Amino acid sequence: MPKHISRILAILAAGLAIALVAKWYFTTGSFYEFGHYRGDSVAEIAAKQPVLQTSGYCKSCHSERHLQWSAANHKSVQCEVCHGAGEGHPQKGKLPIPSDTRKLCSLCHERMPGRPAAQPQIVLAEHGAEQQCIVCHNPHAPKITGVVAKVSGDAAAGAKKHAAACAACHGANAISANDAWPNLAGQHAAYLVRILGAFKSGAQTDVMMSSVAKDLSDPEIQNLAAYYAGLTCNAAAAEKAAGDAAAGKLLAKNCAACHGEAGAAPNPAWPNLAGQKGVYLANALKAFRAGLRKDPMMAGVARGLSDADIVNLAAYYAAQSCGKKP
Amino acid sequence: MEHLIQYAPYTGWVYPNETVIEWSVAIVVYPYITGLVAGAFTVSSLYQVFGFQRLKPVAHLALLTSLCFMLFVPLPLLLHLGHPERAFNNLLTPHLTSAMAMFGYFATFYIVLLVVETWFAFRPYIVEQAQKRIGLIGSFYRALTLGSYDVSETALRYDRKWIFWLAIAGIPGAHGLHGYVGFVFGSLKSREWWSSDLMPLVFLFSAIISGVALLIVLYVASCKLRRTPIDLACLKGLAYTVWAFIIVAFVLEGLEFANIVYKGREGIEMIMTFVTGPLLFPYFVLQFGIGAIVPLLALSYMIWRGTTGKALVVGVTLSACLVLLSVFMMRWNVVIGGQEISKTGKGLLTYPLQVFGKEGLISSLSLVIAPLVVLLGITRLFPPWEHKAAP
Amino acid sequence: MKREAISALRARRGFLRKIGGAGAAVAVGTAGLMHKVAAKSEPAAAQKSFPTPDYDWTKHRWAFGVDATKCIGCLRCVEACKRENNVPLDAHHFNTWIERYVYLEGEDKARIDSQQDPVNIAASGSEGQYRFANRYQDAKVEKAFFVPKLCNQCEHPPCVQVCPVGATYKAKDGVVLIDAEYCIGCRYCVQACPYGARWFNEEKGVTQKCYWCYHRITKGLQPACVEVCPVGARVFGDRDDRDSPISLFIRNNRVQVLKPETGNAPNVFYVGIDKEVL
Repeated sequence: MPKHISRILAILAAGLAIALVAKWYFTTGSFYEFGHYRGDSVAEIAAKQPVLQTSGYCKSCHSERHLQWSAANHKSVQCEVCHGAGEGHPQKGKLPIPSDTRKLCSLCHERMPGRPAAQPQIVLAEHGAEQQCIVCHNPHAPKITGVVAKVSGDAAAGAKKHAAACAACHGANAISANDAWPNLAGQHAAYLVRILGAFKSGAQTDVMMSSVAKDLSDPEIQNLAAYYAGLTCNAAAAEKAAGDAAAGKLLAKNCAACHGEAGAAPNPAWPNLAGQKGVYLANALKAFRAGLRKDPMMAGVARGLSDADIVNLAAYYAAQSCGKKP
Repeated sequence: MEHLIQYAPYTGWVYPNETVIEWSVAIVVYPYITGLVAGAFTVSSLYQVFGFQRLKPVAHLALLTSLCFMLFVPLPLLLHLGHPERAFNNLLTPHLTSAMAMFGYFATFYIVLLVVETWFAFRPYIVEQAQKRIGLIGSFYRALTLGSYDVSETALRYDRKWIFWLAIAGIPGAHGLHGYVGFVFGSLKSREWWSSDLMPLVFLFSAIISGVALLIVLYVASCKLRRTPIDLACLKGLAYTVWAFIIVAFVLEGLEFANIVYKGREGIEMIMTFVTGPLLFPYFVLQFGIGAIVPLLALSYMIWRGTTGKALVVGVTLSACLVLLSVFMMRWNVVIGGQEISKTGKGLLTYPLQVFGKEGLISSLSLVIAPLVVLLGITRLFPPWEHKAAP
Repeated sequence: MKREAISALRARRGFLRKIGGAGAAVAVGTAGLMHKVAAKSEPAAAQKSFPTPDYDWTKHRWAFGVDATKCIGCLRCVEACKRENNVPLDAHHFNTWIERYVYLEGEDKARIDSQQDPVNIAASGSEGQYRFANRYQDAKVEKAFFVPKLCNQCEHPPCVQVCPVGATYKAKDGVVLIDAEYCIGCRYCVQACPYGARWFNEEKGVTQKCYWCYHRITKGLQPACVEVCPVGARVFGDRDDRDSPISLFIRNNRVQVLKPETGNAPNVFYVGIDKEVL
């Protein structure tokens, strides 16, 4: 064989040998350990730390919130869905409390084709006007139950008790003569039972009503409620009210979900407002705003109302006909 | 300054992650260059192995062309990789189920083969220069002789034998290298436009015609540059070669399209919308019409009429240019076209061609031109024509 | 047996390194690029449990269920996933996504969109936040539903098949993982996946995809998307445990997989999807 051929073959052989050695040398240690990949990479991938910490992590400090949340219907929505990932909290700072709840809550609850019927959904434009959701809903326990009290009273017995104890202020037909005292005719019985019970127990106080209610027995409350609820509301059209009913109507959109668009509450747990006395309504709202009357829902609603808003709202509801059913 | 990524506009329904077209014009250039390598090598082996004597004037040019383009084959891939520095992983741990894994070995083997064959082919010239030249260039030739100045008839007989066997080994090497490129696309079941058993063959035959066409252009250009007469017999031989292979390539490409349409599997509506809309011009007009049918008719006419002289040179060269365009468009329509049809079969995307950037138009075009520049340089060191004149 | 073979291999390699190390390194001249290789670790299999001391990957066979009838399209899973896995906050890279299919009256074909649709991005206000625009609220909708999508962790993954270097592989517990330290970034796997589950991270130069939050499930947690789903549309569990949520899901429902004709044999099982879903 000529010299040049043996030499080129030697060069090729040397190259091949170097390549083979290099292949052995540079092949990563854990390669082929389990298969055609770097065995170490599995542990490397598994070693990454989670970013979402799960609600159990939140519980260790926010146990009270956790308890409320885990007992209610939002327990399927984990803390970090709304508050962001818990990684680095609390060391690195606070987690956000969402401010635009209308945007946040509508991610799940906006009525949208494709969402299963079981999902609670609202038409955004028709619900709660422009209010933030948390005004009415507690985000950790959002369902508004409106505990409906049981009513099983005797209306006739209620009528007697009314004539004896209540008619002086609330009127013979349960249409009050004084603008500061509420009409009772046609009011939801369940609401009346609840509110009288609150006066009786002291959960709610009023100069006059506290002492009156204290003397009422539970059956008497039931009877009264049945009596008032059975009456037809035929209050005279409201006298010229102080406020601007048209402006009140716009504001009343925020109240419509519970109290009905024209003040006829769809749920018997909540009072009808249509045709109610204007001054009484204004006083009640101011009391909610000042925290004198206690109601978790109304406190939130009234917080944002100005004096003018209150007067306008009162004027609007007072001007509504109260005979209508929701 | 263009953005790191450009998102592809789309119509219809595409998967969210599809809005980035991952294989760019660099991946169009890659099979194009590989095809030119395989095609040019085919010409050289037609002479070395199959004894087509009339191709002798271009045999060494073909070898050098093949080598120059082969040196640039890995570049578009390296430019494309997210981690080019890890490219050696491909050689360290080739995953044998991957059509792409063997690329490193195939390419390395083939480059070595080309270098060795070229060395054998030019050894008499190297020895001659080593004895004649002085200085740096002389040392270069002397190093290449590997210390053996033996150009005796016995030694040359050995050389010819080696060239013959290397050429034989090179044929499956070159065609395997390119057939595998077709397999890279044809073996994927994720895209109807790619998933085809004919794909490797389509790539192979289009590669051959592109390589022969390139040699026609290079040969004519080199004769003009060197002011030497064109060997018409050789040119005619090349023209016959390209003519014959165009017919096969054209039939295969047509068959492949007919297969897709006739089978009419899921997503065919979108494919039809695509080929009659955005792909109409690049596919039917450029790839099939201007690029394949026109040169086919032109070459047929010249062969039928026995055209010769200047008309033959002009006609064949123009046809070759059209073939080069057609094959480029074929690569484009496969690589880019395939990605423009969504995997959902319900939407189309548009590839946002970048001009600058490492995978842009300019760098890709440079990759096609660079081998020609290297070829120009290498023909100074190893003149493929003077060698022919040597006794 | 296999262990012995590996250690024999190791010993041989160590020997080769001693005798030829310096020469080979100089000859190849790429030692700098391969620096990480130099530090070879102890065999991981030497531990009792792998890949972590508390988790044995031979004792699990993970699977995923999607109940499309429950999905409300809130996209909390998409947001959680993006944050959990540091996915770029844009409209082009997703480990998981939600598709919406809407059939309008008189139309045979579904109108399909996903959170990355410009209309939906406009509704969310940014590419880093996700919500479905209520674009069909006034249309006459005949049928509509949402379908969550993610990596199917196929039994025969085409992405693993095509990876030239072995940077992606199927772990023993069934999850298809990507070795970001080894991936060369060729994107062949992106092309091979018929589901569009893989995407390329331009910044890191490697491919990424959903890996069922492997770092979570090996610590006994749920994948992030399952964790945050408020309606239980996503189910995850171990098929080796007959009473796991996923075993019950598969046993009690008539499940189907996406694109079964590919032969990939996905491990994400769907309930309540429709012929147009693919």
